[in-house]
Amino acid sequence: MSNRPTSLPLQTKVSLTLAVLIGVFIVASWIILRQVILPAFDDLEMAAAQSDLKRAEMALQTDLENLEAVTADWAPWDDIHDYVRGQNSGFKRSNLVRPTLDNLGLDFMAVYALDDRLMWAQLLVDGEQLPINDLGIFSPGDAAAPLLTSQDRADVHAAGYVATRLGPVLISSRPILRSDDSGPVAGALVMGQFLDDTRLGRLRERTEVDMHWSFDDEHAAAGTARSPGDPVFEVQDDGISGRKVLADIHGNAFLALHSQTPRSISGLGGRTVSLALLFLAAAGLLVTAFVWIMLRVTILQPIEGLADHMTKIRQSGNLLHRMPLQRNDEIGALAHQFDDLTGEVHNARQALLDQSFKAGKADTAAEVLHNIRNAMTPMINGLDRLGKSFKVADNLRIEEATAQIADPDCTPERKQKFLQYIDASFKHVAGVGEMATEDLAVATSQARQIEGILTDQEKFANVAPVAETLGVDEVVDEAVHVIPQDARPEVDLDIRDGLDSYTIKAHRIGLLQVLGNLILNAYESIQRSKAPAGRIHIEAASETLEDQAMVRLTIRDNGGGFNQNTGERIFQRGFTSKTEGETNGLGLHWCANAVAGMGGRIRAESRGLGQGAEFHVLLPAAQGG
Amino acid sequence: MYTVEDQEFIRVLVADDDEHVLECYRDAFGEQETTNHMKAINDLAAELFDPVEDIEDQPKFDIVACNQGEDAVRQAAEAAKKGAPFDVIILDVRMPPGIDGVEAGSAIRELDPDVEIVFVTGYSDVPLEELQRRVPPPMRLHYFNKPLSFTQLADDVVTMVREH
Repeated sequence: MSNRPTSLPLQTKVSLTLAVLIGVFIVASWIILRQVILPAFDDLEMAAAQSDLKRAEMALQTDLENLEAVTADWAPWDDIHDYVRGQNSGFKRSNLVRPTLDNLGLDFMAVYALDDRLMWAQLLVDGEQLPINDLGIFSPGDAAAPLLTSQDRADVHAAGYVATRLGPVLISSRPILRSDDSGPVAGALVMGQFLDDTRLGRLRERTEVDMHWSFDDEHAAAGTARSPGDPVFEVQDDGISGRKVLADIHGNAFLALHSQTPRSISGLGGRTVSLALLFLAAAGLLVTAFVWIMLRVTILQPIEGLADHMTKIRQSGNLLHRMPLQRNDEIGALAHQFDDLTGEVHNARQALLDQSFKAGKADTAAEVLHNIRNAMTPMINGLDRLGKSFKVADNLRIEEATAQIADPDCTPERKQKFLQYIDASFKHVAGVGEMATEDLAVATSQARQIEGILTDQEKFANVAPVAETLGVDEVVDEAVHVIPQDARPEVDLDIRDGLDSYTIKAHRIGLLQVLGNLILNAYESIQRSKAPAGRIHIEAASETLEDQAMVRLTIRDNGGGFNQNTGERIFQRGFTSKTEGETNGLGLHWCANAVAGMGGRIRAESRGLGQGAEFHVLLPAAQGG
Repeated sequence: MYTVEDQEFIRVLVADDDEHVLECYRDAFGEQETTNHMKAINDLAAELFDPVEDIEDQPKFDIVACNQGEDAVRQAAEAAKKGAPFDVIILDVRMPPGIDGVEAGSAIRELDPDVEIVFVTGYSDVPLEELQRRVPPPMRLHYFNKPLSFTQLADDVVTMVREH
């Protein structure tokens, strides 16, 4: 038996395929999550950073607009207008006081007359009042002064960021008008707030943005800002830093507004992606495991079973072994078809064996017929010739010649010729005798030749037929058909379970004849005994004979049985318990010889007449049977 | 059949692989040896006794024997070529190791459509219908099983030739 080189087993191939699939699935998921989902979180985070910077800028802008609103509320007012024009001295006492700055949230306030003359000003730094000129923006030489103090037109006002010696400020300047916004312009009202840490803190609270600002002109103006107003964002490990350069009241780069947005979104995205990846991997593994188990249970195991089944059939040679697979799906159909196929191959093999057996017998018979008839031909022709010679002798007319000699009327010459005739006749008969001896010798020789031919055939008769692996159930099933069909209802044929677990090595046709003979004997014994309930049991069991594994087939009947004397002679040649005319089987002597020729034994037991009989046939167990 | 000095002769070709069988053919189809005693008996009987009956003149046999099918075909071909074909050809069916009698008969039939072909065999696994198909026509084909009396066969051969 040769084993084909085995590649990977099917189960390993399926497992590897599933492993590759889950690997590809996990890698694809990782790529999609990392390249598509995670960047979306980054974009979202960048949008948040942009929003933070915008909110910070808007908050600063709101403060400036509030300052402008306060200025716009105070500047067009008849009272301050009159005061600047020297017509309302009480205004200063009631309004231009420190509580006004505190109430309005101002750090400084200044009132200028139309000729840039400072009429009133107050500067508060950390609660301490300082001269307004400490700011360094209102003196005639300061760059911002013309914009702030020289308001000579009703429709012109200024607001924005300005750098002072005390720090950057929000500042708003409006022309002082009548309450109904009519002129003439009396002067300029300037209000301001420091951009200090206190304001920054309030802005942070209000916006909930981690913001700050810087006034390093070089840093603010340079960097990546193409021009004041373009935000710049820098992604760092701990957050996204946003920066926007704001212009001062002159339009120059002045204040760099910074926002710091934590990378909580991308962090959340990273964790989400990781969790998603973990979930997908776990789900993939679970699905793969489920698919693997399903494949194994529904496909792989049945296919392995089918392969094992095929291997077992190939090794045992028992084509009738059936696969215990009760399924109605394609694999079940495949198994059934395979079993049907092996069954058909088995039948074809049996038919071929039968045909070969018959053909062999026919060839042998033809050869024997040819040789014997050829050998008989000279014998028959020798006897034929012998017969002809004797026929000639019969025709001799010796008696008539003798009578003539005794006749007194016969002349001596004539008597002499009759004597010559009688003499020649006897010599001829003697010659016929010699020829007969020769012909009989030829016949004897031919008879010996025929005996030689038969002796040659006897040698062939001693050649043991080829043993094959047989299922006991199969042989028994086939052998029981010798019981006449119309007699089946009268006999309870009890074939015990488990016969299919025994296989034997035997010559099938010979064994069928033996078992058929024994079953037929049992049936006939039941019939002869006229037992009211005929019963034939057939069972099998393992047995060891001279260290060789055997299978014992027992055929038990409740027929007539036999006595001890019969039991001792039952397998002898020519013995039969049947009357003449009843014998139609091969005989137990032949059965015993046939079983012995298969390397087995046969024995018979009975408790006596009327007690039924048991015939045990021991045959070599097939390997693995 | 040909005649020499008023004696008819039937030309017979026999092919059988068994030398004993061929000897039987020779005995049955050959001229009976007449011993001196028999000659004397016949002469004296003719002189001393009344004649019993007229014995019809029987033709004699001109027999050629061989033990292989190929030899039989060759002999038949040569005879036909000489213008003296055989009247009857007797063939065994099984003649190992050469061709069998059926094949030889088929070849001979192609050479001579009129010759009487007789199969004499101990056993033939070729049915008679097959023989008639391969060696036609059926009326020129005869079949005998061994063992048989070749003396009787000789009489049958004479009948075949005379009825031909």
